[in-house]
Amino acid sequence: MNSRATVGEMLRQHGVSRRGFVKFCTATVTAMALPPWLGAAMAEQLSKGPRPSVIYLSFQECTGCFESFMRSFSPTIEHLIFDVISLDYDDTLMAASGDASESAMATAMKDNFGNYILIVDGSIPTGASGACCTAGGRSAEATLREAAKGARVILAVGTCSAFGGIPFANPNPTHAWPVSGIVGDKPIVNVSGCPPIPEVITGTLLQFVTTGQIPDLDEYRRPKAFFGNSIHDRCYRRPFFDAGQFAKTFDDEGARNGWCLYELGCKGPTTYNACATLKWNGGTSFPIESGHGCLGCSEPNFWDKGSFYEAQSTAMWGREGESQRKPLAEFAGAAIAAGAVLGVASAGAGRLRQHEREKK
Amino acid sequence: MRLTDIAVRVEDGAPIAAAPERNGGLGGGVTAILAEIAAGLERLTIAGNTALIDLRSLPLSPDDREELRLALGHGEVTATLEAQGISTLRETAVAGVWWTEHRDQEGALTAELLDIALTPPILAAHPSDVVMAAAALRRRLGTTSPPGSPVKGAA
Amino acid sequence: MSMDWLSFARGPALKVAIGVFFVGVVWRILGFALLRIRREHSRPRSGLLRYVSIGLFATATRSWPHPQFVKRTGAGEALGYSYHMGLFAVILLFGPHVAFLCGLLGIHPWPVLPSSVITGIAVVTATLFAGVLYRRLTSRVMRLLSNFDDYFTWFITMLVMCTGLATSAHLGARYETLLAIHILSVDALLIWFPFGKLMHAFYIMPSRALNGAILARKGAPT
Repeated sequence: MNSRATVGEMLRQHGVSRRGFVKFCTATVTAMALPPWLGAAMAEQLSKGPRPSVIYLSFQECTGCFESFMRSFSPTIEHLIFDVISLDYDDTLMAASGDASESAMATAMKDNFGNYILIVDGSIPTGASGACCTAGGRSAEATLREAAKGARVILAVGTCSAFGGIPFANPNPTHAWPVSGIVGDKPIVNVSGCPPIPEVITGTLLQFVTTGQIPDLDEYRRPKAFFGNSIHDRCYRRPFFDAGQFAKTFDDEGARNGWCLYELGCKGPTTYNACATLKWNGGTSFPIESGHGCLGCSEPNFWDKGSFYEAQSTAMWGREGESQRKPLAEFAGAAIAAGAVLGVASAGAGRLRQHEREKK
Repeated sequence: MRLTDIAVRVEDGAPIAAAPERNGGLGGGVTAILAEIAAGLERLTIAGNTALIDLRSLPLSPDDREELRLALGHGEVTATLEAQGISTLRETAVAGVWWTEHRDQEGALTAELLDIALTPPILAAHPSDVVMAAAALRRRLGTTSPPGSPVKGAA
Repeated sequence: MSMDWLSFARGPALKVAIGVFFVGVVWRILGFALLRIRREHSRPRSGLLRYVSIGLFATATRSWPHPQFVKRTGAGEALGYSYHMGLFAVILLFGPHVAFLCGLLGIHPWPVLPSSVITGIAVVTATLFAGVLYRRLTSRVMRLLSNFDDYFTWFITMLVMCTGLATSAHLGARYETLLAIHILSVDALLIWFPFGKLMHAFYIMPSRALNGAILARKGAPT
């Protein structure tokens, strides 16, 4: 890939017309709730400039985030992103391997030092001196630290790189960390989700490439354009929540009628993402629409927070999914016994005082 | 009844299929959008500024959307754009307002906009594309462009 | 792994709160119930069965002021009953509360009211509860009788109601923060419960019954 060619030249080489690119940019800006006229301006700006160098590093991950980014099942308009950026290194896609791929990365980093966009997916294990995740004889941690030095910005794509994700969950056997736990001196944008929605990844990337600015971020460093609203606030089943109509099991009448899934553990109220508006697979559906409550996969520690099939207002007592009656009964029994001891002792002391008073 | 007894209503620059009068008036949301369109049309005539309204960002119910469609009506021109999927740009009965639907190669709707412009800018050919096209054509013809032309043709 | 506030509020904090609640309530009930009633040396005016039944009857008759006092205290009593009914409706007929109680006790959930209706009831209840404080502060007699227990108990109960309303309306912070604060305020209420006037929940009927029975024994049933 010739990263010196302008984006416009690359697009023409790939048979993408100017109008097609305007369409792509318009769809991206409207998805980010930016003014739609920015689409044409973004297309114009991007077409003139050189393709920004992007280095994509994958660490302790399942490749789901990369699949989401790639959308390898069917080519859609999002594939245009690969004409806009110059993906100079990605170990999942690139044909080269071994030394050739490592030298490709070194060359890309050297040629674009200080200017490349570093995309990271997967968490970074530090256990066993980093041996839990190595490539080319180097640990993930060492590779990340090296790559971060010349990066203009780091996009932590997916919950694993943004917050540690599944590897970070208790007991965290590999001592995994998110990107922000390893790199402290570079701007980091977290595009969380397990995986993130493809349009969210491409939209965030495009906005940075066009404007050179990091978008407005929330307290977890996620772009507010996509993570500013909770699923609950945009959910089409919200009227059922407000009306107090909840599905109690996955196959009852409420579930068949599409009622609110709060009592089946939906984490919509505490999860911030664009699933309810952008949806998945080009706007086809999202978990709640398919009948399963939100798991909260774009939030920190979502796995350890548990309560996937119990309402968030319930007590966290005993094992998930089991009735809490037995452990509560045992605990209450012990507390009642303790209270009885204190009560009898207290009454005994009181009676003694009564007796003393009457004797006088 | 004679021919002259039939009531006639003339609308200025009447396009075909003008928006019918609706009984009961318009919903509040639709009224607000129409007000924004009117303001956009005024800016277009005074300063030549085009505008875009993103319909998917507005909280429109299906009924509101249908009401808006009926309120704007249908104009004379429909343009189809085939670029990374099919896009349809329909002129409404309100001159200068175009209802645009962009779809990707799988037919999924990627954007739905109201374009306030004399012609939607996306339909116009880009000047630099025109320069390149003229040069390519000159090369094909084996002729040169006239002196002073921005186009560089074959000798 | 650091625990987030919501998991803490409905996990360890709730466990401690329920533990303290059970220990404290049983302690106080037994500590009172096992005390010796002062011996009556006078002759009982009626049989045991009669004065027990009169005692039970007294719990009903003493649940509303005597006609002579209705004009002076009736409004206050009505206010009290109104907000109690509002509280019970909100606690027992709101979906997330029912999910909490049934999940904890392992019982089958019952039908609930629409959330918007519950919000309306909660707003009215909170307003009436504010009226209770106003009455306490503006009446000279009430001010004289009031102590820390009265005011603190009012504060903790109002806190639970206000944080619940804020959570329901998603007002002021992220939902999980509001829910955590609401559950923590409930935990605080459960911990305070055995040590303050909230124990009237357990005392009120027995004490009225006892008073009625003692007076009936003396031949002065009311």
